[in-house]
Amino acid sequence: MIRAENLTKRYGDTTVVQDLSFSVRPGSVTGFLGPNGAGKSTTLRMILGLDAPTRGRATVDGHPYAAHRAPLTHVGALLEARSVHPGRSARHHLMALAHTHGIPRARVERVLALAGLTHVAHKRVKGFSLGMGQRLGIAAALLGDPATVVLDEPVNGLDPEGVLWIRTLLRNLAAEGRTVLVSSHLMSEMALTADHLIVIGKGRLLADTTVDELVRTSGGASVRVVTPEADRLRTLLPGARITAEAPDTLLVTGLEAPEIGRAAAAHAVPLHELTPQAASLEQAFMDLTRDAVEYQGASA
Amino acid sequence: MTTTTTTPALTITPSRVLRSEWHKLRTLRSTWITVLTSAALLLGVGILMGATYTSDGGDSDVDTVVLTLYGSQLGGIALAVLGILVTAGEYATGMIRASLTAVPRRLPVLWAKAAVYTATVLTVSLLTALLTFVTAQAFLSDTDQAASLTDDGVLAAVAGNAAGVTLLGLIALGLGAALRSVPGAIGAFVGGVLIVPEILGMLPYEAMDTVVRYFPTQAAGALGSATPLPGAASPGAALLALLLWAAAALAIPALLLNRRDV
Repeated sequence: MIRAENLTKRYGDTTVVQDLSFSVRPGSVTGFLGPNGAGKSTTLRMILGLDAPTRGRATVDGHPYAAHRAPLTHVGALLEARSVHPGRSARHHLMALAHTHGIPRARVERVLALAGLTHVAHKRVKGFSLGMGQRLGIAAALLGDPATVVLDEPVNGLDPEGVLWIRTLLRNLAAEGRTVLVSSHLMSEMALTADHLIVIGKGRLLADTTVDELVRTSGGASVRVVTPEADRLRTLLPGARITAEAPDTLLVTGLEAPEIGRAAAAHAVPLHELTPQAASLEQAFMDLTRDAVEYQGASA
Repeated sequence: MTTTTTTPALTITPSRVLRSEWHKLRTLRSTWITVLTSAALLLGVGILMGATYTSDGGDSDVDTVVLTLYGSQLGGIALAVLGILVTAGEYATGMIRASLTAVPRRLPVLWAKAAVYTATVLTVSLLTALLTFVTAQAFLSDTDQAASLTDDGVLAAVAGNAAGVTLLGLIALGLGAALRSVPGAIGAFVGGVLIVPEILGMLPYEAMDTVVRYFPTQAAGALGSATPLPGAASPGAALLALLLWAAAALAIPALLLNRRDV
């Protein structure tokens, strides 16, 4: 269980995280979503006690992370930035962390096996691929058999097999009753793994909702209409938001397909196509964060 | 008699943090390279000094321990680099995030690093210094530098040499923790600890000479001499001065550690 209360982080004049409050519950995968630079990593570092909040506080199982006597058994974390000495072997890296809590060697071997690293455990991390590095980070996160798992962009740099492994792992961790918080800037990835979503942009909370709810309320659902009398149809649909995709193609928001069809039939406007467009999660996310993206590319 | 095996609770204890830091220290190649380099330099220079020494070469007034352990000046730099790698090296690689996530109260990590480093470097330096002194003396037996470990002040000076090297390295470790950059800390150590006092000592002020003798390298030099060096602090005062320098060099990063973001 993670709880953020009015979490705020300022660096000089720049506010990276502002007044962020949310809680992450056990038993489900919570996606922590936002464009690059939204303040996700900073928020996670504050939860882990690495960065001190300017204001507000973050607690894990009711206490600040640093107040726990055995923090690795409460929270296991994979940070975005590499947190391994490349000159040490994977096994020694995990042993060094395990020693701080008196975690037995058998547990180190278990998480190595779980991450599929047993055969390279004696090798120095220096030679690891990005994907192997991520697997080692996840092995480290699971070391203390923690009730809460925090993973910052875990699928970054993974091959398809690795991505699938992470997805399955996250679902299993949640099914075991753990609290799972996963950050990503990719909505499509979250759509496949997360049940709950916390969306932030420019350091502020934009949405704290479920995946289904986000799509439903995004208001992005529209209807595609192809008609040779596009201009006439426009005048028949008062109150709808209409954009023209092509001279004969309209995108109508605010009206359902049957209403548009009835209006067209009543005035004998021929329709070649009348297709409801379900808003994609990706679109919902883009709509939500449009004003909050740090760097926006001009559309061609 | 029955033995009950209880699984010890998983919590952070000071001895566990020490064990973790010891594990970290011994599982890096750079540790072995710097430690063996320092030992090789001390022994190599010692043998060179012994083998090339002649009584009429004009070095008769040099203290015999200073002469035989002359290589500790070079070897000490390798050990200072190790001290810097122990702290600043973790910032360079990102390992510090893992270390401080495992031990979020942070200060035990710094104390454990200092303790493990001190124990390791003092042991290695002492053993190498003893070996070097005895080896060099094998060459010096028929010169005016012939001495034995049982001679007045010799054993204390050999131990003092090792203590001096260790405390200088501890200052480097503290600099690494405060500056969080390997090149920055090496620069600060070479510039601030090794060179600046030499320049200050050259200034034509009487008072400056008195102050400079309590600077780290000068104090370490006084500790490693069997006979009192001209214009140097007494061994007791030198040891105290070095301990205070090392304490200050650790106090600064200790104060900063809980205030800074990682």
